[in-house]
Amino acid sequence: MSGHPVQAPIVAEQLVRTFGDLRAVDGIDMTVDAGEIFGFLGPNGAGKSTAVRMLTTLLRPTSGRAIVAGFDVATHPDEVRRRIGVALQDAAIDPLMTGNELLRLQAVLYGIPSGKVKSRAAELLERVGLTAAADRRVGTYSGGMRRRLDLALSLIHEPTVLFLDEPTTGLDPMSRMTLWEEVRRLNREGTTVLLTTQYLEEADQLADRIAIIDKGRIVREGRPRDLKAEVGSPTLLVAVPREQADAARAVLQEFGESRPTAEGTLGVGLRDGARAVTDVVRRLDEAGVRLQHLEINEPSLDDVFAEATGHRLEGE
Amino acid sequence: MSGASLRETVRSARAISVRNLRGIVRLPSAFMPALMMPIFTMIAFAGTFAAITKLPGFPTDRSVNWFMPLGICFGSAFSGIGQGFSAIRDIQTGFYDRLRMSPAPRASIILGALLASWFRALLLNLVVVPVGVLLGVRFTGGLLGILTLLAASLGTATMALGWGLGLAYRFRDMRAAAVMQLTMFVVLYLSSAQMPLALISGWLHAVARINPMTNILRLAREGLVTSASGGNVAWANTWGGLVAIVALSALTLTFAWRSLDRLSR
Repeated sequence: MSGHPVQAPIVAEQLVRTFGDLRAVDGIDMTVDAGEIFGFLGPNGAGKSTAVRMLTTLLRPTSGRAIVAGFDVATHPDEVRRRIGVALQDAAIDPLMTGNELLRLQAVLYGIPSGKVKSRAAELLERVGLTAAADRRVGTYSGGMRRRLDLALSLIHEPTVLFLDEPTTGLDPMSRMTLWEEVRRLNREGTTVLLTTQYLEEADQLADRIAIIDKGRIVREGRPRDLKAEVGSPTLLVAVPREQADAARAVLQEFGESRPTAEGTLGVGLRDGARAVTDVVRRLDEAGVRLQHLEINEPSLDDVFAEATGHRLEGE
Repeated sequence: MSGASLRETVRSARAISVRNLRGIVRLPSAFMPALMMPIFTMIAFAGTFAAITKLPGFPTDRSVNWFMPLGICFGSAFSGIGQGFSAIRDIQTGFYDRLRMSPAPRASIILGALLASWFRALLLNLVVVPVGVLLGVRFTGGLLGILTLLAASLGTATMALGWGLGLAYRFRDMRAAAVMQLTMFVVLYLSSAQMPLALISGWLHAVARINPMTNILRLAREGLVTSASGGNVAWANTWGGLVAIVALSALTLTFAWRSLDRLSR
């Protein structure tokens, strides 16, 4: 398959990366279709970034194979590099350089002809709303501006496949929304996007399909709504005094399977749906349990994550 | 390497070196010590050891003539390993990932750093030589003597660059900086840095005699001393330095090239 274009822009087969005894990525199989936004969802240390580093040629796989933009990352890394754009987790931009200078350097590194460097840089600065700050040193940029510049840098050669590694980590909500909109726009224009995130909402909002990754393995994969539907019942979360936790747990078990929750709360997947809430409250009251807090959640990606991994992503 | 690939390598290397050199203007505090140290070395040694010229067999009557080439080689070595320091910083901030993810030829990453280190070494010569002349330096070897000094300077920068980059790629953190500096001082000072080989005795003489830096310093000083050739630059005093530069540059640059590849492992 190496060297021959294939239809899917990203294919991984039993991809493994070890660091000493640690299997950071432990046999990932995945296919990202053309024009998709594919989300890698998982907590810190799950193996998302390591997987992306292999797919973007920065790290050699220990075993397995990855085909990106039609080329094997191990045997044809240069061909892969020409076709992909990458914005890594920490926007690696030189604070002493201006946005304009960085874009021009990137243009040269990607072989943009000299006559087009200036106009391409200006076009991208305009696109990400940084024209006014183009000649300011990047060290003076806000976090959101840096991320937008990083995105512009990754687009300098009009890549067909874009990798975004935790693109909005640390950003304020407004900057996050702006970046999401830009990712959607790029995708509408035909760019295939693989993004890693630890934000459930980001995966839910942006991704056509997601893969939940935990301890180096993909534990669930599919469209967010399908994954949530698989979980089925809503989750009831209750908080009770510590000394009444056992009594409450016993009551909750009558209504469904317990679900992992953040510390200090108990969770149950309501077998009979939301209508069972009144019965739960009544039974807790009969058991002498004093409710401090009660909340019902429709299935979320966090529930999917919890069901797949036995622990929750939110609150970690 | 095809013509197009060579053009691409040179173009990318030039852009990488320009980025590197911009730091001289934008962060002069980082460059000034590398510029001041050679001047300080020259002034301090020439002053402290002014009487050294009275030793029988000492090849010049001006101590500053003896110590200016040492200062320049010292500063040039810093120009080279300075690129190693920059590489460590870029690896740690992730900027190196940006370079490595680009389709630019891998050679351009090293060539870009090499061009930057040469430029810094040239700048150093442009500052230190006039200061030396003001302090009494006299080029007895004329224009050719200036060229041999320049060759030693750029050669030292090249060797140090290869060594510095190779270590930076292997260690990927500041441990590399400590090894770079330690080895640089050891190689530089266990040579004829302070005294002509003929005036060194014991174990230091044995070490200095086989230390290639002795040959390189002989090359650097050839246009400033009057020993063997009576003031003219002689092939007998230069070829050893040139061979040492070519051989060590090839070795250290190969070390850097192979180590760059290890960043992906």
